Amino acid sequence: MTTDRVTTDRVTTETKVELSINGRRHVVGVEPRHTLGDVLREQLGLTGTHLGCEHGVCGACTVLVDGEPTRSCLVFAVQMDQTEITTIEGLAAADGTLHPVQEAFSACHGLQCGFCTPGFVLTAVHLLATNPAPDRATIRRELSGNLCRCTGYVGIISAVERAAVERAAVERAAVERAVTNAAAVAASAADEPSSPRH
Amino acid sequence: MKSAPFDYHRATSVDDAVAVLTASDGEAKVIAGGQSLVPLLSMRMAQPTVLVDLNGLAELRSDRPTVTDGRARFGSMTRHAQLAIQTHHGLAAEMAGWIGHTAIRTRGTLGGSLAHADPNAECPALALACDAALSVQGADGVRTIPAAEFFAGMLQTALADDEILTVIDLAVPRRWGFAELARRHGDFALVLATVTELADGWRVVVGGVEGTPVRLADAEAALSSDASTDEVGRTVEESIVAYDDLHATSRYRRAMAAELVRRAVDQARRTQGEAS
Amino acid sequence: MVASLDQSTTTAGPIGTSPRRKEDHRLLTGRGRFVSDLQLPRMRHVAFVRSTYAHARIVSIDCNELDPIDHPVFTALSPGFEVGLFAQSALPGYVETEQPPLARGKTRFAGEAIAAVVADDRYQAEDAAEGVVVDYEPLPVTVRAWDEPQHPVHDAALDNVLLARTFSAGDVDAALAAAAVVVRREVVTNRHGGNPMEGRAGVALWEGSARDGHLTFWSGTQIPHLVRNLLAELLELPESNVRVIAPDVGGGFGTKAVLYPEDLALCLMARSLPGTPLKWVEDRAEHLAAATAARDHRYELEAGFDAEGHLVGIRGEAWCNVGAYSVYPWTAGIEALMAGGLLTGPYKVENYRCSVRGVATNTAPSGPYRGVARPATVYAMECLLDSGARALGMDSIDIRRVNLIGPDDVPYRLPTRLIDDTGHYAECLDACIERLGLDELRAEQARRRAEGGKPIGIGLACYNELTGLGRAASAGPRMPFRTGHEACTVRINPDGKVVVLSGVTSQGQGLETTLAQVVAEAVGVNYDDVEVRYGDTDQSLWGFGAFSSRQAVIAGGAANLAAVDVRESALRLAAELYEASPDDLRLENGSFYVAGSPEAVGTLADAARVAYLESNRLPPGFEPGLDATRFYDPVMGAFAAGVQVAAIELDPSTGEITILRWVCVEDAGRVVHPQIVDGQIAGSLAQGIGGAQYEHLVYDDEGNLRTGTLLDYLMPTSAEIPEFEIGHIERPADNPLGVRGVGEGGTLGPAAVLASAVADAVGIDIDQLPLTPERLWLALEDQR
Ligand SMILES: Cc1cc2nc3c(=O)[nH]c(=O)nc-3n(C[C@H](O)[C@H](O)[C@H](O)COP(=O)(O)OP(=O)(O)OC[C@H]3O[C@@H](n4cnc5c(N)ncnc54)[C@H](O)[C@@H]3O)c2cc1C
Ligand code: FES
Ligand code: FES
Repeated sequence: MTTDRVTTDRVTTETKVELSINGRRHVVGVEPRHTLGDVLREQLGLTGTHLGCEHGVCGACTVLVDGEPTRSCLVFAVQMDQTEITTIEGLAAADGTLHPVQEAFSACHGLQCGFCTPGFVLTAVHLLATNPAPDRATIRRELSGNLCRCTGYVGIISAVERAAVERAAVERAAVERAVTNAAAVAASAADEPSSPRH
Repeated sequence: MKSAPFDYHRATSVDDAVAVLTASDGEAKVIAGGQSLVPLLSMRMAQPTVLVDLNGLAELRSDRPTVTDGRARFGSMTRHAQLAIQTHHGLAAEMAGWIGHTAIRTRGTLGGSLAHADPNAECPALALACDAALSVQGADGVRTIPAAEFFAGMLQTALADDEILTVIDLAVPRRWGFAELARRHGDFALVLATVTELADGWRVVVGGVEGTPVRLADAEAALSSDASTDEVGRTVEESIVAYDDLHATSRYRRAMAAELVRRAVDQARRTQGEAS
Repeated sequence: MVASLDQSTTTAGPIGTSPRRKEDHRLLTGRGRFVSDLQLPRMRHVAFVRSTYAHARIVSIDCNELDPIDHPVFTALSPGFEVGLFAQSALPGYVETEQPPLARGKTRFAGEAIAAVVADDRYQAEDAAEGVVVDYEPLPVTVRAWDEPQHPVHDAALDNVLLARTFSAGDVDAALAAAAVVVRREVVTNRHGGNPMEGRAGVALWEGSARDGHLTFWSGTQIPHLVRNLLAELLELPESNVRVIAPDVGGGFGTKAVLYPEDLALCLMARSLPGTPLKWVEDRAEHLAAATAARDHRYELEAGFDAEGHLVGIRGEAWCNVGAYSVYPWTAGIEALMAGGLLTGPYKVENYRCSVRGVATNTAPSGPYRGVARPATVYAMECLLDSGARALGMDSIDIRRVNLIGPDDVPYRLPTRLIDDTGHYAECLDACIERLGLDELRAEQARRRAEGGKPIGIGLACYNELTGLGRAASAGPRMPFRTGHEACTVRINPDGKVVVLSGVTSQGQGLETTLAQVVAEAVGVNYDDVEVRYGDTDQSLWGFGAFSSRQAVIAGGAANLAAVDVRESALRLAAELYEASPDDLRLENGSFYVAGSPEAVGTLADAARVAYLESNRLPPGFEPGLDATRFYDPVMGAFAAGVQVAAIELDPSTGEITILRWVCVEDAGRVVHPQIVDGQIAGSLAQGIGGAQYEHLVYDDEGNLRTGTLLDYLMPTSAEIPEFEIGHIERPADNPLGVRGVGEGGTLGPAAVLASAVADAVGIDIDQLPLTPERLWLALEDQR
């Protein structure tokens, strides 16, 4: 399981960890000191997770670990054994169709250079999962753990607001569809001659 | 900004963790949420040889605290996020909500914050304000340290190298007030103040003025004798010597301590008790 | 899923609309291509050993612990490291100094790179860096530009002054002597910097022998062609053997419009290790310590007004902290010359004298940062106006009105001889005030004054942003090159789709989108059929890159010219192919139409196929291919007018400021992509607010940076930045597209606006930035 490697003066061991990333299982050998962010980027080629400070302040490296927003620069990959991780690469559909939050970021110009964007999008996805209808002030507070240097935040706040509204609309439509379907089923059931089942 | 090498040990029990700490002769470090420790590792300001990970220890977690006799007991691995939403200790919930940001609170722990002992942090002040009894376990067994003796100075505690903080037992105040001043949303406080009414009377605690959170006896006395809010505030300004640093001068810290205590007093006096 | 933008397969995206940005999809899905993402076979990683002293002789560098094969170490004594960066200027009063790739003999600021080590990954590189031991002999340290120099930073300038110049016009002494009032202000502004979320990064690969090699340098630079030019010179390579590639870049703001010693060191190391790609990704601590910052200034100014409030003269001095080195290629004059040259802003004044100095100190070098010097000068200037208004008992808005350059005054020659071609300031001001609802706020302010409550203040700033500088306007610093032009190639591929090869770069400004819109409209194709490539010196002919709000004006101008040429060639060819008169033909959405007929006669794809593949069908005299390359130089610059007005509320018990409203109206000329333009303004406003209230690179007296992490260097978050109300007056500029630059204006106002709002609220003069709650509280205490 472990192999020894000589660095300048200390011997470190490599450990195997099993990570489920965006629904796919990966077994990787890591040194204990390798942060999750570095392992995603350097070993797994998932370079969508960005490192803006490596000391927990900028939020660019945020990923979801078992659904919770987590600074991937502040956890070590060895600690993440057997967890489910969602990175920015895991949001869009396989055909490239954007996730509604990504879509809203594009529509509202919630990104410029795009470096902070993965962290913002994942934080926003989590926010909307826990608070489906935040107002702008709430969004501002809840996203304050992520720094963006380009946008002045206006487009980002609008994007999250829009994603919430559109999600609500989609859900309303789904509920309405379900209600209509149920009514239709009920109606057709009523129309059908009752067949004895027993 | 990458850590120096270290070995990793996922603790299987508190005993196991203590055993590794003891064996390492002070060279090992415990990792809880990692939200304070990992930056220090990455900047190579801390270079332990072994990290002992407490994250797998169910015995230190408390999804629901135990509440008896007006005191609430939390496992040291209680995340800030859990503390913020629990309903057994209103002040703890309020203060935890002020810690950093969502992604910090999902990992950071009550025990980690106390062990880190940042004078500008919420949890140390909470502990002092609620007469915390801190259970620690080490090679020599288990002992309980009162909050008043736990904080030894800036980022220093009474914990020995081989000791682990396991349980935090907090009095549930009858009434409380809390006020904080920070430069940005989610930042560590420049200054913070709590006012709590416990079974044995009022406590006034401020953080961010000295190396540890401090209790202000004069302000407590004034409060007990029903002094006006302004009078309580005045005693605060007279009784503390605040430090100067990059973010604020001593003069400003003292004045803000007084202002925040006034706000906390007003809040405490307005609220109804929550414990009986 | 709900579609939000036009999602049909082709988008026309004409100028003035906001089609979906071309860069969005890849950036949103984690498929961006940043330098730090690059992985190449055999790649190794670099860490720099940085000085822990602000000023010290380097006695020795010991790396005996390290295996030279596993961990090669480079220092100033390594072969090839004799070269250095010399920022040049022909201005009298400029002292040329050298910046070595790695500190040579002595270190001049804490954080300067002294050695570089190579390892298999960054972790091991940092391990190895710990094995390099530097022995220092400390020297006296100078931190502030206006302090007595302790020990010369450079031997060439014993007084540390690397640039001194006096701007002068009229007879200011006589004017001030005759003035009704003279006010005096001394203001100090805070050092802060771009801090793009992606730090600097580079990968250097040398292929071939050391003498006859080929260098590829991937870099987050804003100025790839200039970088190529200098690297070729210093490495003694033909320019064609150097390729600089700036792929996706995570923000720049000027910080990356610099050729850094680390860049040069990386390339020199690559030459010593041919075939091994060397990667350096700056971390945030390195960025804060060693990337360029700006606006560490002090101003001592006097202004005279006549009884009606007209400015009659301005006299004063300014000190700009250059840091330890003269930034390449912009020189130690970058801030000082801008400060002296544009201090008077959009206000009319004839008598002017200002002596500016760029002074070397033992701090990190200063360099270009969004707004260059003007966030400080606008603040200083507006302070003078507020003081003037108070001395004369005038309203703070009125005093600005009587002094603003108006449409009737243009072209207005500033006392520093720059020509202001806009004059639309009052219009911006009116629009701001109307939007703000000034009367209501004034009434509320009066009510609170009478009845108690947190004081409200209204502040404003008027400014001009000098954008898109052509060769005449970019002459100021007298550098050995003029940044007035830009090249662009527009090429129709055989399938009729269009490729644009631009010399410009983008760090988030959306140039891929904007240039596509310009070219689509000029050629007559759909936006979706245009692909824009930039940032690769092997693809575009030439470009100076991204700085000084020049991309839309100059790169847009070049793209437009080339696109028009291509359209004309295509129309000429189509005229022959379809036997129509070229004058009757037009090209729209990729198809040719003859006047008077709604049916297309053919498509650009058909014509392009002939042009590339069927030379047998080419009419006589036609060469194969369909492309054009053009340069554009606007010669002069386009001033962009801007005004910001804000209402704030103060909490006297803590000194905290709550921003209630923030209105900004600018003249962006003709707006190409409204969303992008507003995004630029919002982003620059936020940086301006950051610089005014939060961000401060603080050095102690020993020259140690005390704000070395983002826990101490405070950038504003979404919770601090207010909602912005952004308006436009669109006065087309005098260039083919009618556009003005918009990248910087937002940063120019906030410090001035907030200071003037505080003055308005409580009558306190803010003379030092950043405007922290503590500073305000202390001032209120003094007043109480
Ligand atoms: C961007 C950012 C903003 C933040 N803002 C705030 C804020 O506003 N207020 C605030 O209070 N905090 C803030 N924090 C810090 C955060 O609250 C940390 O979670 C907390 O201080 C430490 O808890 P932890 O569980 O992460 O501990 P760790 O980082 O894991 O450990 C901290 C120290 O405590 C020791 N330790 C941990 N657990 C134990 C234990 N059970 N027994 C013995 N020793 C132990 C460790 O060895 C280490 O020395 C912020 C952090 C970041 C990155
Ligand atoms: S890189 Fe993790 S928070 Fe900045
Ligand atoms: S878009 Fe550039 S940092 Fe946010």
